[in-house]
Amino acid sequence: MRQYETGFVLSPALSEEETAQFIQQMADIVAQKKGHMVRQDVWGKRRLAYPIKRFQEGVYVFFTYEGPGDVSTELERRFKQTDTVIRFMTVLKDPRDLVRRKKKRRAAEEAAPAAAPAPAPADVKEEK
Amino acid sequence: MPRDDRPERPERSERGGYRKYFAPKRKFCRFCQRNVRGIDYKAVEILKKYIPDRGKITPRRITGTCAFHQRKLALAVKRARLMALLPYVED
Repeated sequence: MRQYETGFVLSPALSEEETAQFIQQMADIVAQKKGHMVRQDVWGKRRLAYPIKRFQEGVYVFFTYEGPGDVSTELERRFKQTDTVIRFMTVLKDPRDLVRRKKKRRAAEEAAPAAAPAPAPADVKEEK
Repeated sequence: MPRDDRPERPERSERGGYRKYFAPKRKFCRFCQRNVRGIDYKAVEILKKYIPDRGKITPRRITGTCAFHQRKLALAVKRARLMALLPYVED
């Protein structure tokens, strides 16, 4: 099963309940379409690098999920319908990224323990 | 003006470009060094190191990133730009 990552930016004008409600709705759609939610990240309000629809900040949410291709189609259809989503993007996660990471971990363990702490922080940033 | 009067030029090896000011340092790919395979567009702090003041992607010849990771990096920066994590232009 392929893994996708959909990120979207919500309008800052929404109240906290509305934001939480919308995220919950979207998560329900993933479940409805027989997708399996792997990870759900809510970054919260963050300043945009440039204004979108005259908003200077937005609420960043990222969904990582496995499932058939129509999950992302459905999500994007919903995004287009509402005005609350100001930007969205779906990315196909490359499975090779995960394979190498496992190999690397093994290699790091085999190598001197002194080498191990160095790659660790990079990992954390990567997965954030 | 006779040739001898002209100010003497420094040796060729000392002249030209940044070599005049910086000792040429061995460059290496930081991603290879840490054995990172994929570069995530959400890791803004990492990407920021590769886009100086103007918001442009620093070329490989300056950062020393390998071809494989430069391709990944460029894609990640472009994705981050779309999501308004990084600027398209900055001045």
